Amino acid sequence: MTDRLTDILISSFPQMLLAAIKMSIPLTVISFLLGMALALLLAIVQVADIKILKQISQIYIWIFRGTPLLVQLYIIFHGLPQLGIVLGAFPSAVIAFGMNVAAYNAEAIRAAILAVPTGQTEASYLIGLNYPQLMLRVVLPQAFPISFPSLFNNLISLLKDTSLASCITIPELLAKTQKIAGRTFDYLPMFCEAAVIYLMICTLLTWLQGFLEKKMAWETKKVRTGRHMRLKAGT
Amino acid sequence: MLEVKQLYKSFGKEEVLKGIDFRVDKGEAVAVLGPSGSGKTTLLRCISFLERVNGGEIIFDGLHHDMSHISKKMIRQIRMQMGFVFQSFNLFRNMTALHNVTIGLTAARKMPKGEAEQIAWEMLRKVGLEERAGYYPDQLSGGQQQRVAIARAIAANPKVILFDEPTSALDPELTGEVLDVMKKLADEGTTMVVVTHEMGFAREAADRVVFMEDGVIVEEAPSGEFFQNPQKERSVQFLRRVLGTAK
Repeated sequence: MTDRLTDILISSFPQMLLAAIKMSIPLTVISFLLGMALALLLAIVQVADIKILKQISQIYIWIFRGTPLLVQLYIIFHGLPQLGIVLGAFPSAVIAFGMNVAAYNAEAIRAAILAVPTGQTEASYLIGLNYPQLMLRVVLPQAFPISFPSLFNNLISLLKDTSLASCITIPELLAKTQKIAGRTFDYLPMFCEAAVIYLMICTLLTWLQGFLEKKMAWETKKVRTGRHMRLKAGT
Repeated sequence: MLEVKQLYKSFGKEEVLKGIDFRVDKGEAVAVLGPSGSGKTTLLRCISFLERVNGGEIIFDGLHHDMSHISKKMIRQIRMQMGFVFQSFNLFRNMTALHNVTIGLTAARKMPKGEAEQIAWEMLRKVGLEERAGYYPDQLSGGQQQRVAIARAIAANPKVILFDEPTSALDPELTGEVLDVMKKLADEGTTMVVVTHEMGFAREAADRVVFMEDGVIVEEAPSGEFFQNPQKERSVQFLRRVLGTAK
């Protein structure tokens, strides 16, 4: 009995890991990148106080944070075809996950932008920078490290949320698990194994987060001595 | 050089500036003194358009502007010829000391990078921080940060530099290095307005003192005269209080 179980766990592991690597992770990364691009726009129109766009952004966030992700996924995959918009399972998932995570990321970015001291905004204007320069050169480079822990948190959530894609026929980690477990009805060990694989990936991501956070801190930035820089500048 | 006339500013119902007439001539260093809450900082912030005024006129470089109806473009043009040093430094945390000084030149004034860096080195040398050019603000002491901020303010060769309590946020042992830089600038004939609580600086380095209280200018005099022979009762009281505790 235990030998059989061990066999199943070991023989299924590579297949499940492959499903995670070939589907869960790419789905997470692509959706998150789409979500970041959208989030940046959603956050900036709010901070820049552009009237109509600001309201659209707020309504967007209200809807996508206020409704279940699975419902959003079903509307796009099962619902839109009624309007003649037929999308494949993967594009549907990328759009649903991307648009959903964008709402959360937008709030993280907006909060981080507001956390950059206003004194630097005043200083920027006084030395003659315009608004785009202020944003690109001063505010966003500082807002990014501030928002980074929240953004990474959203990334980790998203990785786990991609398991919902199993509901729309995408062969990601959980779908693969269900398929294997269904053959022998070993649901308990198989789902536990899936949980362990998610946990492994999240552990790696947490390490990566810690490493990147340390790299970004201004206090620990490597300094170059004046003489060194002067030689480089040739002055 | 720079003059404001009948400057009024309220925050809500509270009137902070009640018709200020203020001027600084070319090459002059003016110290603005007064108890906290007298409106000194607000005056400086209005002159640099960080606050919208309720009424007033500014004459800068011979041109008159109505301060409550001035265009953004004109504000930018005037600011490009002003330097401003904040109490809290407000250096850009994501840039090295050198980059803090060059960015106003390269981004706002479209100066080539090489030329801007040459100027920045010169400015950092002037404030004694050449060796710290590659450091980020968080790696510098408060006094060093403020000296970088001064280098940033003087880099574009402004016609006037406004200092808003530049040493108030510093530990006492660090104020000296900043005041020395400011004295040097004053000696070189830099046009400057300094809101300060440093009586020593006002007495030694300023040409003229403006004493404010409750949103009005109470007394204005050459700095030697003001400290030796203040005319107004309130100036006498103020000096007795600040110098009495200092000595």
